[in-house]
Order: sequence, then structure tokens, then C-alpha cells
Amino acid sequence: MLSELILRIILGTLSVAAFGVFFGLLYKGIDRKLSAHMQGRIGPPIRQPFRDVAKLFEKENIIPDHAIPWVFNFIPLVGLVATISILLYLPLGGFPPLFSSGADLIVVLYLLIIPSLALVIGGFSSGSPYAIVGAQREMATMIAYEFPLAILIITIAWNLLQKGVTSAFSFSTIASMPVWNQVTGPLGFIGFAILLVVLMLVTPAELSKIPFDSPEAETEIAGGLLVEYSGRNLAMFYLIDGVKTVVMASIVVTLFFPYNLSAFLGLGSYEAMIIDIVFYLFKIFLVILFSVTLIRVAIARLKIDQIVYTYWIPLTLASLIGLILVMWDGVIMNIFSFT
Amino acid sequence: MFTLESGSGFWNPLIWILIIFIAFLLFYGIRGFGKSLYKKGTEQTKAFLSGNKEAAPEEMHVKASNLYWGFTVSMSSLYSRLRKMHTGNVSDYLLWFIIVLAILFLVIGVI
Repeated sequence: MLSELILRIILGTLSVAAFGVFFGLLYKGIDRKLSAHMQGRIGPPIRQPFRDVAKLFEKENIIPDHAIPWVFNFIPLVGLVATISILLYLPLGGFPPLFSSGADLIVVLYLLIIPSLALVIGGFSSGSPYAIVGAQREMATMIAYEFPLAILIITIAWNLLQKGVTSAFSFSTIASMPVWNQVTGPLGFIGFAILLVVLMLVTPAELSKIPFDSPEAETEIAGGLLVEYSGRNLAMFYLIDGVKTVVMASIVVTLFFPYNLSAFLGLGSYEAMIIDIVFYLFKIFLVILFSVTLIRVAIARLKIDQIVYTYWIPLTLASLIGLILVMWDGVIMNIFSFT
Repeated sequence: MFTLESGSGFWNPLIWILIIFIAFLLFYGIRGFGKSLYKKGTEQTKAFLSGNKEAAPEEMHVKASNLYWGFTVSMSSLYSRLRKMHTGNVSDYLLWFIIVLAILFLVIGVI
């Protein structure tokens, strides 16, 4: 029993790590190619992120004079390992999570903070003023977007609790009871649609993408918290970015689009598996297209005070409105059913 | 086995630690393929400051209060009101304390 569990953890971690790194870099390449075409450029080939990582491994791994070497070297690994661990708790490729009873949505939200904190600690340990400014901005961004994100998560869990579900924060439960199937009227539908938009706007901040990339801001603070990183350490942060993109897109898919095509098409066995994996990868692509590529091409970088304002005022209000609409959904429909 | 349950939430830290350990071994090994050398004590190890001369660390220090700049600027109207309320006068703070207590008693009494 125990040996079986350990074997499952070893094989699961290795396979999920390979999956996260491969598709993280692949989607990064697709994103770069698409955004280049949208800006009238040819752009790099889709395999460019793989070449970037290979090249970074051949570059010198410079440690600045004023850095704290062990923290500077250790923290990119911590960030990457924590990001990979999240993937084991998420439903991937239409399959249930590998360790569905290992952690729930709240734990995953806490685990999501680790890669961002790794960036912050790495920035502070660099001993560069640019990196420290970047690290401070990253912390401010984290504080800002957690507020609407928490309201969104509570709304989804509260809605499931109202349906009599006991483990409302479990990913297996959330994936088996899609939010759109739980609404009873238009108010609930509008409420969840607003919350979906909020989550799609939290995603670029989680991933430090334009317009919420002021912690890095190449043209202003020369890469911010990553300015002193090079070689294999920078490659680790590069991989974190790719894997975290897959993680965030998988969370969006699980919370709002956990549907599988095989059930609609009435397929079984291997055909169903293949169709579900392809459909899952397509959903991930759509999430990245709408919440990363289109936004970063269309909007300029926001200043840190604008980022804080965006998350604490309009998006928090929007998520509160979404919460209220979802709460009223059942009540209003009950009133109509009585009259 | 060893799953912490809070009623609505759950977490198994042992599974997580095992996952972290295996993933750490994997990526530590992969990281080992990268180049570890660099030219110590050269221009290479000085902080990048857009061509400006590097000063002593204490002179380049960025204040921790800078972290809150985004909040204080974006919600300046709220902060300016809060600053006015912080008079430093103990009598004012006692007055606030009594007002809040009165509101609490009213709310508790009504409910």
C-alpha cells in the first residue's frame, strides 16, 4: 500500500514535470509567435523557448558581488518545484487529479504564492536596486490581486455548499459539478460570467505579463527582479514562467470549463482519452490566447499604483457584484416559483 | 492517511513533501547540466545600473516603505482622511473607541 503510494508519487511527479515543462515552453512559443503576427512581425519559431532554455544552460551563471549566494542559487529551484507540485493536484487532460485527496483549492492558492515569493526573495537577494524595486512591486501586485481572487474562490465554493456538497473546495468536486450547470437563472449566469472575466484578468498578473509586468518592466528597470539572474538560474525562472502558465490555465479550465468531449460524442476507451487530452490542450490554448496573448498585445504596461487600483477597486467591486448575483440567483428564482 | 481535515478543506502535507523532494532531486539534477562558472571579481559581478557607477550598498538602499507606494498613491484620498484622523491625541483615540463600542452595542442589541 505504502510502496504503491510512493511509486505513484515518483512516477506522477516525473511525468507531470515533463508534461508541465514541455507544454509550458510550447505554449510560450505559440504565444510569442501569435503576438508577433498580431504586431505585424514574423516572430521567433515556436520551438524558440526550448532553444532559449538550452542556450541559458550554456551561459555563465553569474552571482553578483552584493548577492546572498545560497539564497540567490536556491530560490529559483524552490519556485520551480512548488509550481510543478501544483500540477499534481489539478485535473489534467480530462483526467481526475493524480492526488485529488492530497490538497484542495485553498492549498493550491497558497502554493501559487510560492513561485511569486521565490521571485521576490530572489530579487531581494540580488543586491541590486533595480531587483529590489521589482521585488517590492511584485509584492504589491500579489497583495492587490489576491483580494478579487479570494472572493471568486469563495463564491464558487459557497455555491457548491448551497447544493449540499460537503467537499466544496475539492478539485474533483468542482470538476464534476461545472458552475454553469449549477445556476438556476440569468442572475447566476451573469454573476459567474463576471467572475470568469475577473479570473481572466487575474491570470496575467499571476504570470507577470503585460499590462501587469511592472515588477519586471524591461524598458524601465531592466528586468527588475530578474536583472541580475543569468545562465541556469535564469533558465529555472524561465521554466517557472512556462509551467505556471499551464497551471493558471488549468485552474481556469477546472473552475469554469471542466467539460470533456468524449461524453458528448459517446466515445469510450482510448478514443475518449485522446479526444479529451486534445480538447483539454485546446481549452488551455484558448485561455492563454484570451488572458495573456490578446491582452499583452492590446494594452500598454500599467504603473504599480494603476495595478493596485485596478485590482482593489474595479475588479474587487466586479467580483463582489458577481458574488451577490450568484447569491441572489436561487433566491430570485424561488420567489418567481412561489408567485 | 495523515490528511489534515478542517471540515470543508483538506491537505496531506506528507504527500506534498514527497512530491517536493522528488521534483527537487529531478530539477537539481537538470540544473547540474548548466554551466556553473563565471568570472569572479570582474565587471561581470557588479550590479547592472544602466551604465551608472555602482555606489556602496547603504547608499543604493531602497526603503522598505517604498513597497506601499502603489497603495498610498492609488488610494490617496482614503489615506489623507486616515492621516487626519491620526492626530496623536489620546483623547481623540478614546473618543473613537467609545463611538465604535457604542455602535457595536447598538448592533448587538438590535440583532
